[in-house]
Amino acid sequence: MKKLLQRTKLFKIGDILFIILFTCLIIFSISNYWDAPVGQYLKIEKNNDEPKILSLNQNSNEKISGLLGDSEINISEGKARFSKSPCTKKYCIHQGWVNKVNQTVVCLPNQISISITDGNEPFDSVNY
Amino acid sequence: MEMSPLTQSITKIIGYDHIIAKLSAIAIVLSIIEFFLPSPIPGIKPGIANIIILYTLVKFDLKTAAWVSLLRVFISSILVGSFLSPTFFLSLFGAVISLAFLFLFQKLPKKYFSLISFGIIASFGHIIGQFFIARLWIIPHDSIFNLLPFFFISALIFGILSGYLANTILKH
Repeated sequence: MKKLLQRTKLFKIGDILFIILFTCLIIFSISNYWDAPVGQYLKIEKNNDEPKILSLNQNSNEKISGLLGDSEINISEGKARFSKSPCTKKYCIHQGWVNKVNQTVVCLPNQISISITDGNEPFDSVNY
Repeated sequence: MEMSPLTQSITKIIGYDHIIAKLSAIAIVLSIIEFFLPSPIPGIKPGIANIIILYTLVKFDLKTAAWVSLLRVFISSILVGSFLSPTFFLSLFGAVISLAFLFLFQKLPKKYFSLISFGIIASFGHIIGQFFIARLWIIPHDSIFNLLPFFFISALIFGILSGYLANTILKH
């Protein structure tokens, strides 16, 4: 190792130490944040309405009336999606299924958004 | 980091302000070039102006490096047109936290730590400062944490690169 260092003269001993230290930090961040865990609850937020929290362990269709009309949210096998929407571009439907914590699908024209949570949210709103 | 007698005499002859102005000018040009380079992932940039900051840190001291770094942030944002926009605050806080990290680690012995170490420290400071502001203010949502591995990997790679380049500049 020492011979290799002297030959390359690229890194000093402390540099190797720092690289190892920060590689550990990277590995730690990957193991924690690379993939979000699967969530248990679905939060449906509508303009000016209290958020509605539903369990993902059910098969059901929720009809939510938004600004333009009724959106249908389909829950099955621990996943959720928009299955019907009155908006024109249908971006919310094309987003497809969501099941991981913090994944969010938003339908802006109809002012409805759904997001997955793990059930413990410390704040229901933050103002600043 | 003490100034060597040679650089002290150079400072006396040319004048401290001139040196800061010259180094900042180089850093500003580098960061404007970087602004026009396309980036593969939004938010990830090589940070080539950091080379100049590292060079200044070793050749002069931390105070000069802080001058150069902050002048670079302000002037390049005015020239590019992002002054007082979120981008500007991201780069400002990145630079401030990066300088704070360099301040904490400036006493590391030069015998064992080359500029590569300082490059890694500076780039991690940048990314941590920017991430802090992004999470608190720009995207106040926890899902932003999923980007952290990408940011850390790029910070390590570009930190090593800029430290290596600053080393080579110092040698010549």
